[in-house]
Amino acid sequence: MCAYVLMRIFESSPKKYDWGIRIITLGKAENVYDSLASHVKSGQRVLDIGCGTGNMTIRAARRGALVKGIDVNPEMLEIALAKIEKENLSDRVELHEMSVVELDKEESESYDVVTAVLVLSELTTHELDYTLKEVMRILKPGGLFLVADEVVPRNRLKRVINWIIRAPLLLITYLVAQRTSHPIKNLPERLEKAGFIIESIRVSRLENFVEVVARKPMRETE
Amino acid sequence: MSNLRYLVANVLCTLLRFIPIPCRTGVIKIGNPGRDSPVLLTCNYWLTVERVKKAIRGIDCYLLVANSRGINVWCASAGGHLTNHSVISILKTSGIEELVGHRNIILPQLAASGIEAKVIKEKTGWNVIWGPVYAHDIPEFLRNNLKKTPNMREIKFPLRQRLEISVAWAFPISLIIGLILFFVFPKLMIPALVAIWSLSFLTFLAFPLFSRMADRRRKRTPNGQPRFLDTLIYSLFVWGIFILLVSIVEFLTGQLSWIEILRWAAISVILTFVLNMDLMGLTPIYRSEFLKDRLLTIEINQEKCIGCRTCENVCPRNCYRMDEEKNVAVMVEAERCIKCGACIVQCPSDALYFRRPDGEIVPPEVIRKFKLNFIGTRAVRVE
Ligand code: SF4
Ligand code: SF4
Repeated sequence: MCAYVLMRIFESSPKKYDWGIRIITLGKAENVYDSLASHVKSGQRVLDIGCGTGNMTIRAARRGALVKGIDVNPEMLEIALAKIEKENLSDRVELHEMSVVELDKEESESYDVVTAVLVLSELTTHELDYTLKEVMRILKPGGLFLVADEVVPRNRLKRVINWIIRAPLLLITYLVAQRTSHPIKNLPERLEKAGFIIESIRVSRLENFVEVVARKPMRETE
Repeated sequence: MSNLRYLVANVLCTLLRFIPIPCRTGVIKIGNPGRDSPVLLTCNYWLTVERVKKAIRGIDCYLLVANSRGINVWCASAGGHLTNHSVISILKTSGIEELVGHRNIILPQLAASGIEAKVIKEKTGWNVIWGPVYAHDIPEFLRNNLKKTPNMREIKFPLRQRLEISVAWAFPISLIIGLILFFVFPKLMIPALVAIWSLSFLTFLAFPLFSRMADRRRKRTPNGQPRFLDTLIYSLFVWGIFILLVSIVEFLTGQLSWIEILRWAAISVILTFVLNMDLMGLTPIYRSEFLKDRLLTIEINQEKCIGCRTCENVCPRNCYRMDEEKNVAVMVEAERCIKCGACIVQCPSDALYFRRPDGEIVPPEVIRKFKLNFIGTRAVRVE
């Protein structure tokens, strides 16, 4: 049917997902996970949005946090589950097949840290707004929102260079991992608009990838 | 303006059929909808959205465009891209809940292999109604009080779609082969391109012949799948016709010679094979020969069946009939089944399942979760 042969050869398998991420981040994925995970402290409650095959979830759990990982892809979750069992982290991690629009089921102010690596760029604009609003609600005051994602460079020249580099890259990632993405425009501004305080931003040289540490403000009375 | 966009979408998406072309998700107002107007949903493949919009022009309703990553409804639902999550997300974030007073949503029937009506109801309160397979039947479906005729439920492979597939198949292949030949054997480029396009058209124009041959044979094979041999015989046939046509043209232009014919034969035999390698996989009515799960068979546990007719309603091949006396579903046309899994996914009492050739049962939960169907073995095995 629908000539799925072509598609099949490159079918989106979870193993290829990790590959796709590596290509998009130009091999810096490990680095990104490690540097973001360093903000997680032992005993904290962490929500990993779009946990995929568990790269971030596992790092947070290794640091002693209690992690809930959510993703919409049951196959990825299956892989994540196997990795977690292998590392004996099962008692600190729970995984759910759940999308961002179900975050309204989470209790208010119940997480110390929320992470989202390469997932916001996969959302539609409506979903992104919804997610930022809900993350703000479920974070404890002073809690951290750790984001890493593809963004549209601000500098026009860099935007052009980025586009030239990305075009073939996009094709490869699509073929290998069936992963398309839409870099986000003005990610830091969007976070600020949603009420977050930006603590630190690390931008890649081409300005096409950022790591953001954002904080939910403390309550004013405190 | 909208006509122009419709045209561009059709041309572009036909040429690049195998590439997802996404468009914006969200809610589109058609006509002047009010609080009681119907709500329809489709995927965010650009061409589909344009076609649906055209089909329902003049009807006051809301059209929700859900995220399927730019892939058409059928491939996306069977392949796990148009899922429960896509539907829940669009219902919750598009603002449709404030626009209408009711909670009924009409989904394309071909989404039934990927979206579970039960889960949508549980998580959002919306009732799923399975609409027709093709958008052009939507107006009649609405007029008929949301009743479908067997014809509206069935997937077909009409001439128009066969022509589209010929173009969609010939275009990328001629691009690749043409480019290679341009650098390696420039002389061969034009003949090769002529051969690719004509063979592609011939194959799909004469496709009903393949169907007839394959259907006769598959009554005799246990799971009803035509075999690779059928494709081979048919390819030879198409190849023969092509050589015949070439000879006629050469005769008329006075160039006929054995050498010429042999040369054409050599070029086209390889191309015929390349083009027809997965002939069945290119059609919506057979399964690809390359998939491991083509050998699954479907079974009904009649003790569990409650006679709800859901399977009959979602099967795109009209495989089911109801035994009115016993109030259970019977599979009357098992050899027509393409293993899309829609019936299994939707059956409310888990009365349907797949059986593997080795006798093992694939339970409905697994099929629902991993979209195990004709698109392949999606269940992961983690070592
Ligand atoms: S959907 Fe299931 S319960 Fe309903 S008629 Fe079909 S087999 Fe029976
Ligand atoms: S009987 Fe076969 S073709 Fe019909 S819905 Fe079930 S799996 Fe699909």
